[in-house]
Amino acid sequence: MIATLDPLVADYDQLLPVIAADGLAGFEELRAAAIRRYRESGIPTTRDEEFKYTPLHALTETKYRFGYGANLTREDVSGLLVGDIDAITVVFVNGQFAPDLSSTDSLPNGAYIGSFSDARGFEDEIHANLGTIAHFNNRLGSTNDLRFVDLNSAYLGDGTLIFLEKNVTVERPIHVVHVVSASDVAALSFPRNLIVLGENAEAKVIESYVTHAGNGVTIPVTEIRLAAAARLEHNKVQNESLASTHIANIFVDQAKTSVYTSNNINFGGGVARTDINAYVGGEYCETWLNSANVATGSQIIDNHTRIDHALPNCQSFEVYKSILKDNGVGVFNGKIFVYEDAQKTDAKQTNQAILLSPTATMNTKPQLEIFADDVKCTHGATIGQLRDDALFYLRARGIPLAEAQGLLVYAFAAEVLEKITIDEVREKLEAALFEKLGS
Amino acid sequence: MLTITDLTARVEEKEILKGINLTINPGEVHAIMGPNGSGKSTLASILAGRSDYEVTGGSVELFEKDLLELEPDERAAEGLFLAFQYPVEIPGVTNTYFLRSAINAIRKYHGQEDMPPKEFMALVKQKAALMELDPAMLSRSVNEGFSGGEKKRNEIFQMAMLDPKLCVLDETDSGLDIDALKVVANGVNALRGGDRGILVITHYQRLLDYIVPDFVHVLMDGKIVKSGGKELALELEEKGYDFIKEELAAKA
Ligand SMILES: Nc1ncnc2c1ncn2[C@@H]1O[C@H](COP(=O)(O)OP(=O)(O)OP(=O)(O)O)[C@@H](O)[C@H]1O
Ligand SMILES: [Mg+2]
Repeated sequence: MIATLDPLVADYDQLLPVIAADGLAGFEELRAAAIRRYRESGIPTTRDEEFKYTPLHALTETKYRFGYGANLTREDVSGLLVGDIDAITVVFVNGQFAPDLSSTDSLPNGAYIGSFSDARGFEDEIHANLGTIAHFNNRLGSTNDLRFVDLNSAYLGDGTLIFLEKNVTVERPIHVVHVVSASDVAALSFPRNLIVLGENAEAKVIESYVTHAGNGVTIPVTEIRLAAAARLEHNKVQNESLASTHIANIFVDQAKTSVYTSNNINFGGGVARTDINAYVGGEYCETWLNSANVATGSQIIDNHTRIDHALPNCQSFEVYKSILKDNGVGVFNGKIFVYEDAQKTDAKQTNQAILLSPTATMNTKPQLEIFADDVKCTHGATIGQLRDDALFYLRARGIPLAEAQGLLVYAFAAEVLEKITIDEVREKLEAALFEKLGS
Repeated sequence: MLTITDLTARVEEKEILKGINLTINPGEVHAIMGPNGSGKSTLASILAGRSDYEVTGGSVELFEKDLLELEPDERAAEGLFLAFQYPVEIPGVTNTYFLRSAINAIRKYHGQEDMPPKEFMALVKQKAALMELDPAMLSRSVNEGFSGGEKKRNEIFQMAMLDPKLCVLDETDSGLDIDALKVVANGVNALRGGDRGILVITHYQRLLDYIVPDFVHVLMDGKIVKSGGKELALELEEKGYDFIKEELAAKA
């Protein structure tokens, strides 16, 4: 009964032909199965374990509509956070590919970066990978919830493909921009990104979510496949407007000796939820999950991570940090599964939060499930105020209290931003952080 | 420049300072020595404005201002510098950024513009050379992962950068090897002179061989029980604190 009332799918039948025409052929079954599964579950409530701290009333109580048809200029986009960096750029507006705003020329041989709809000659790669990474089949203790992945798949139309053949390195950063531009009614969109790196290929990707006008309900899915020895720096920057809802799912599938680095930055959104699920299915992999989050006003920033160590000799390092001000809420749920065969796994998880007001809250839940005996797994969580000794030290050198506090808060998050190796992006985020904390 | 009168203070119900009297005039170097736990760091912390200590009586004047009424950052801006016994690590804030913030905060307090970046970098270069500080340390986070000796050296480097009027050094010699001790002492001596006042807290005569004090005070159980010239430090080195205890007992 929920299904008929659910505004996320209320217009689905009318929209289906539009969406289908926008993307590639051959995904009819995937969409049909996904909408069936989604309709069985519907919008989660806080009674659903995976959404315990993610209130989603905005999805039933506010108005939004499928957002195709907005028109933006390059200037509109370049003024947005990290919008004007030097990069191979693929732009989507309200979920719709915007070729006029994108710049994907001069790619090296063996690389495709662009929309699904333009990916002539790479259709097989899309068919072989899309929808095959975002799942929990044959995983241990699968309590995770896939309904927003299903919802995104149900609306599968166009999307971004980043495909690098074996041994291809793309030096320039690749920027996938998802812009929301809405008027009085929020824009609903379902961005879909697919990143496939062949053996020993390397890329740096920025996946950014920003608002040009109004608010968005943005429900992206990003699938990433790394072949042996592939290396990806994946920077996700979410800076949507403060009444937007953002529910993102990222799935990573790592083959042996690959290195995946995620820098997950959230400054925006009213409710911003990101799930990162990394399946480490080869030996000697590295998985780095870094994250900086700032929630002010009444923002809720929720991060769920899951690392499946299925094979031996892999390392994962996870550092999640939140700065919470006013009534800001932070959530961290970090799952690490070490499978029976995954001997010599070295997994380190750290979650830290700074509360800058008595009404800010942090909910943190590390969840380590270890089925191998010869492993090194640690986790630590700290939630607190700024260190008094550090504050005093700064003040004893002449720095007034407010400035000293600002400096320490900034430093706390800057430690994560330092992991971003694209200087232009890091510098812009540092400036944005400074501005956000100052206000 | 600094006048401490009948200062008493406690921490968590425990009386630690029991009536300190001390005057430092411009250009003078004073040393305070005393057994562990006698209250030396407490005195230094109270001067710098640490809030863990409750001042229960007495007064402190710095340049005719009521020091105890000033915030810690205002005290620093007025020219007070404490070299910490245990310098604090601040991950994520580089030494350079930290110093620039401090210098400009102090300038702002005095109604001055920010120091021009060129001038700042030149100053950093000059003072780092004086302290024989590896320039790589300047771009590292404040004190993070520094060795004990490097931290102490960094304190004196900061002191040289900030050019304070009154320097309080809390056991800056502890944890230093012989070469580092000389470097630190040279750094302090370079700042000596003119109107600058210096208060050195130490356990060892060693440091005072390099930084020769005008006055030596012995702090015991929260009080200055004996004051003298530089020879008092030598006498303490030789005889320990027992002879003072005996003297006190004899007087009582
Ligand atoms: N925050 C505190 N809480 C409780 N007691 C304290 C605190 N700070 C200092 N004290 C106590 O006050 C006394 C004086 O300490 P202080 O650090 O001033 O001594 P000190 O003379 O500097 O000693 P040292 O030579 O070992 O550095 C000690 O007994 C110490 O335990
Ligand atoms: Mg001490």
